[in-house]
Amino acid sequence: MMQETALSESGANRTAQRLDPAAVPWAKPSRIGLAAAILTLLVLPWVLNSFSTGRFAIHLLILFFVWGIVTQSWNLILGVGGIFSFAQVAFFVIGGLASGVVAQQFGVSPFLSIWLAPIAATLAALLIGLPSLRLRGPYVVLLTLAFAELVRNFATQGPKWVAGGGYGLRDVPKFGFENLWGATTGRVAYYYAAMILFLITTYVIWRIFYSPIGMSFRALRDSETYATSRGVDPYRFKLLLFALSAFFTGLAGGFLLHYNGSQAPTILNFPLTINLLAMIVLGGWGTFWGPILGTALLTALPEILRGPLENWRNMGMGLSLALIAVFAPEGLFPILSRGFKKFFGRKDKAKAS
Amino acid sequence: MEKLFQAVYGGILYGSIYGLMAIGLTLIWGSLRMLNMAMGALYVVGGFLTWTAYKQWDLPPLVAIAIGVLAAAVIGLLIQVLLINRLLGRSSFFNAAMIATVGAAIMIESAALLIYGPRVKQMPPIVAGQSKIIGVVIQYQNLVIIAVTVISLIALSIFLKKTRYGLAIQAVSQQMDAARLMGIPTVMTFMIVATIGAAFAGLAGSLLSSVFYVSPTAGYAPLTKALIVTIFGGLGSIKGTIWAAYIIGILEAFLIVYFGAGFALPVLFLFMILMLVIRPSGLFGLGEVQRL
Amino acid sequence: MLKVTDLQAGYAGSEVLHSLSLEVRDGESVVVLGPNGHGKTTLLRAISGLIRPTGGRIEFDGQDITHKRASDIVAAGVIHIPQGDLPFPELTVIENLLMGAYRSDAWRQRKYKLEQVFELFPVLKERPNQLARSLSGGERRMLALGRGLMSKAKLLMIDEPSLGLAPFLVENVYETIRSIRNTGLSILLVDENADHIADLADRVYLLEAGSLIKEGGASEMLHDEALLAAYLG
Repeated sequence: MMQETALSESGANRTAQRLDPAAVPWAKPSRIGLAAAILTLLVLPWVLNSFSTGRFAIHLLILFFVWGIVTQSWNLILGVGGIFSFAQVAFFVIGGLASGVVAQQFGVSPFLSIWLAPIAATLAALLIGLPSLRLRGPYVVLLTLAFAELVRNFATQGPKWVAGGGYGLRDVPKFGFENLWGATTGRVAYYYAAMILFLITTYVIWRIFYSPIGMSFRALRDSETYATSRGVDPYRFKLLLFALSAFFTGLAGGFLLHYNGSQAPTILNFPLTINLLAMIVLGGWGTFWGPILGTALLTALPEILRGPLENWRNMGMGLSLALIAVFAPEGLFPILSRGFKKFFGRKDKAKAS
Repeated sequence: MEKLFQAVYGGILYGSIYGLMAIGLTLIWGSLRMLNMAMGALYVVGGFLTWTAYKQWDLPPLVAIAIGVLAAAVIGLLIQVLLINRLLGRSSFFNAAMIATVGAAIMIESAALLIYGPRVKQMPPIVAGQSKIIGVVIQYQNLVIIAVTVISLIALSIFLKKTRYGLAIQAVSQQMDAARLMGIPTVMTFMIVATIGAAFAGLAGSLLSSVFYVSPTAGYAPLTKALIVTIFGGLGSIKGTIWAAYIIGILEAFLIVYFGAGFALPVLFLFMILMLVIRPSGLFGLGEVQRL
Repeated sequence: MLKVTDLQAGYAGSEVLHSLSLEVRDGESVVVLGPNGHGKTTLLRAISGLIRPTGGRIEFDGQDITHKRASDIVAAGVIHIPQGDLPFPELTVIENLLMGAYRSDAWRQRKYKLEQVFELFPVLKERPNQLARSLSGGERRMLALGRGLMSKAKLLMIDEPSLGLAPFLVENVYETIRSIRNTGLSILLVDENADHIADLADRVYLLEAGSLIKEGGASEMLHDEALLAAYLG
């Protein structure tokens, strides 16, 4: 799988080995698989619309897309950057606030104001990222936690146009697809909007994951040395991760706001952050598909296990977190994919070098 | 004058509470180099078991408090033995311990909800009654809290300074390799620290069960406050934590008395952020704040 | 009393010691000489249990201590005085010393041991309540040695006792080690240079790149100028 190029230099035979791109298993998803997946996603809402529970299912899928953006972005910081930041939901909320306030107070159309969301979130990320990246371990946790709490405080007790007396933003103009095309088609429009954002985010993150720098950061412990040897400043790279992560998260926050028409500050309470963290951990911390898998699981499950089972469900989630941390820190996705490979075998086996 | 006394009294009261909540966190960081995110849940355990002992088993209040503390200590030890001990030695120890303790916290909270239901419970005061001194209402209840805190903190200091195991705990947190070379059993030391830390969190919950409502989801606020205090005092420093607890308590009390309640929290958080940016090791912190 | 056979040890994938064998007999004073980075410290850490050997066998007093925990190895009587002293910085001199006597049998005799150590190290006796972090280099060295003696040591392993000390203190330290040796304690000392060990060592090993390349009685090894010059540069 390695292309060997022989170079002779002053008599000595040296071989330079370059990685054959095809040797990296998941970097190139099969064209067919990708096309099939996208086709399914495109058709799905129309199919679901014909069922009575379909409406709810579409809603769940939209939530999946939104939180999927957030978890993938957070995973970028946690798993690739190796920075234990707790500020993710704060970026989400800042995005929502930026777009919401402008739309609500100045009558700007959500289609325009939403672009403020990622910008505001990114600025916030740079603000908190610069000091965070200079610290390690518990100090980053605490710094980002303090930041998140500050934002929560602002969103709850801030000026009326932000905090709405403690209820957050309410009666914010929505995108209004339902007004343009009726409830059923409007719903699909929201779905497509969310889906597009999700796919774009996923693509960008995929590119980062499988870039040489991205892979080295993930695989090597002293990836900073590798990065420096390639002429990339690891600090700048982490800052980029922070900024990108916040960009998409803020965008998602803006979207959810104009989808729901409101954003309550309770969103910044611990339960949501912990839920998102669980999605990443259970799915696979630091892996590409992990957060997607985790988000799918934890978005669907709560709805299936509603009501009196809610506490058991939470208990189960807590137990899973603890068990995964101790026994399977890589998360579910790597385990499942190994199991899959063993079970089904790989059609194109990589030749052992 | 009255306001000043109110602020000072309030400050000492808050400070005592923060001290109780934060001391466990800093002890555990000092020895294990991990943040125990289950401290809030242990606080809740203390409160609930105290309530159960008093209301459902009809035990006298002081015994009830002791039971609350014991329950928290036991659960803290369980977390250490079942989860944390298995993580020792991993390069990802810090992250894994965070996640494991978050998981434990969720389990405890869910268990509390399942057992006790979502409605809050209230404990009657340990000592009823109040007095008016210099125009400020002083509840005997709160005096008890302050007294118990001071006594237990002194007891802890004596334990740490004068006993073999206390010195060993300090030794392990200051220079672990040397401690191992003295024959100090590190795993056992970790378990003792985890138990003591949990006991203090439980004590905070037990004492405050009569001041605030006991609620399964009430763990996050004390945890967050404890984190601020430990950072300010310096992670790992007992002395620093105690100082920080009272300084922050008094600061907060002054802010509330003179500027109103809404002000206090954001100022504190801002303060914490500044602290982390300028001097992350806090007042007396045990170094090793790696600057990149 | 200490028998090391084919010891292999290292850190995170890189092997430092390769099939190393040595012996310290009862009452003996053995010195391992080697340049920096060749495994002297790793050797002691492998024996005292700070790192786990990847191969080989370590026997002490008939017991197999190869994979035992550090605290058990201390209980067996093997005391490692580490390079750099590693004092407990926020504890006082007395508290540091007391920690040396942590094991229960030593703890019971701590008052007596403390007196012994103070007699041997009057420098420490003068400042019992001073925090370890404010001690000078020489005082810290004394503290490290004293701490090691607080336990019921049968074998004292010392890592580069002269490291970082001003020249006039160095002789002092070796003098102290000589007096310790004269009480009958077995000693395994690792060092970088051979200047002061003449009156101290019974036998000498030469360590190079993780293996012992030569062994002999102290007199023959240390008087072979050519050998030493070539080896230690």
